Amino acid sequence: MDTVVRAVGLVKRFRGAVAVGGVDLEVHTGEHVALLGPNGAGKTTTLFMLLGVVTPDAGVVELLGHRLPEGRTAALARVGFAAGYLPLAERMRVREFLRMYADLYGVVDATAAIDDALVRFGIEDLASSLGTELSSGQRTLVGIVKATLHRPRLLVLDEPTASLDPDVATRVRQGLLDLTRTDGATLLITSHDMAEVEKLCERVIFVSRGQVVADGSPSEVTASFGRSGLEDVFLHLAARQPPAADGVGADPTARR
Amino acid sequence: MTSGQAPAAEQRWEDWARSRRRILAVARRHAYVLKRSPHRLFDVTIWPLVDVLLFGSLGVFISRHGGNGSIAFSYLLSGIVLWHVVYQSQIALSTGMLEETWSRNLLNLMVTPMTELEYVLGVMLFGMVKLAMGVGVAAIAAWGFYAFNVTDLGWQIVPVVAVLLVVGWVIALFVIGIVLRFGSGAEALAWGILFIVMPLSGIFYPIQALPRMLRPLAVALPTTHAFAAGRALLVHRGLEWGQVGIAAVGTVALLLVAVAFVVAMLSLFRKRGYITRYS
Repeated sequence: MDTVVRAVGLVKRFRGAVAVGGVDLEVHTGEHVALLGPNGAGKTTTLFMLLGVVTPDAGVVELLGHRLPEGRTAALARVGFAAGYLPLAERMRVREFLRMYADLYGVVDATAAIDDALVRFGIEDLASSLGTELSSGQRTLVGIVKATLHRPRLLVLDEPTASLDPDVATRVRQGLLDLTRTDGATLLITSHDMAEVEKLCERVIFVSRGQVVADGSPSEVTASFGRSGLEDVFLHLAARQPPAADGVGADPTARR
Repeated sequence: MTSGQAPAAEQRWEDWARSRRRILAVARRHAYVLKRSPHRLFDVTIWPLVDVLLFGSLGVFISRHGGNGSIAFSYLLSGIVLWHVVYQSQIALSTGMLEETWSRNLLNLMVTPMTELEYVLGVMLFGMVKLAMGVGVAAIAAWGFYAFNVTDLGWQIVPVVAVLLVVGWVIALFVIGIVLRFGSGAEALAWGILFIVMPLSGIFYPIQALPRMLRPLAVALPTTHAFAAGRALLVHRGLEWGQVGIAAVGTVALLLVAVAFVVAMLSLFRKRGYITRYS
């Protein structure tokens, strides 16, 4: 099985405080993986290092066979990213926004790709809306559509369904499952919704205080902590992590 | 051509086509911003109009009541029109980047295959449209209100304009570097920095008119030499290639420093995780 993401010994400190303290990570083609942990655990910092947005203090990142930062452009051409907390660029209609990203990713038939993606996530009626006219849930959906336009080999989603109602979240999950099944794409997400994670991912990686503390299937991880479910594991780890323990509060990527 | 060279050339062509498409995508994005933000039109319409009215009327007043009035009038009007080359190119590039911070679009852009150079070229490309609008308004206002025709300066003004255009981009790169380092709090520099450069560049007067202690600073600025070359055209001394040459060399040197500065600030931006200021 091909390795899509390979990180070895990732370390990141912010103002001397350790945000990520030596993370090793491998994700393979077609896997659906969730990176989990309480706020300030180092998930987003790890994602940002994997995407080349934040430079690690130590360690190596290889994305789709390209070593970062040198291979950033080649790697990111086949990666899609969306985050539930990101707004749409202002003063653009949804179709214009998607067209811009289709061009940035080099999509050959941009119009067809945009139409397909809008239909896949059931938001074709939003194509002519301005970003400022959308609800936060609709903006999140458009962000996910943007991330899938170029049929990426790796789809990275940071808290993708955080602002979605259950009905829309279900539609998003189904759209993501359809897409990854059709294209064989790999999914790497962070989420605080453990039920969602169990529906989407066959592998979970728990991070706490900047370290990987568990890696396996949801049932294996649950069993290894002697807990009743992922939610219970999450609460257990969150209780172990004081808000600013070990200076983790200095991590600018920590979301509260 | 060997068989190995053909695929390599083809690959280079494909890379260039992709790159060109990304540059155009950025330019188009900024066209939408201008189209849907009437207040952004202020910089390219009202501001040049007000400047021409202010300095044109001042020139008329001096020409009626002062000594060598017609020269002062020409210096003021040509100075303000040429100044708008610097102003518009600088503002277009720096506020173009700031737009991404205001709309929290930086993270989305940074995870695409687009390079930083492609992004800057895209903003510059649309910036040329804004520059044409801004300078066009200034030139038409000077002609319409005061019968001052910029085109009377002839083709020789082209190298002067080219230098001023690049100086505007250089200043914008410094502003971008500072914003990357210090965040949006530093964005006031996008407008403010020009008001430091403006009087020191002698855009309306020879720098001998400046206080003696400021003259060495003025001499070091490439804009000073570009404006001096522009004034020489006004008094029919022809293009002073020496002044243009000094301005061009100074601009290239500053451009290299500005690029190095932005690269260093971008590296710091990634190292310190400053992206979270905009996500």
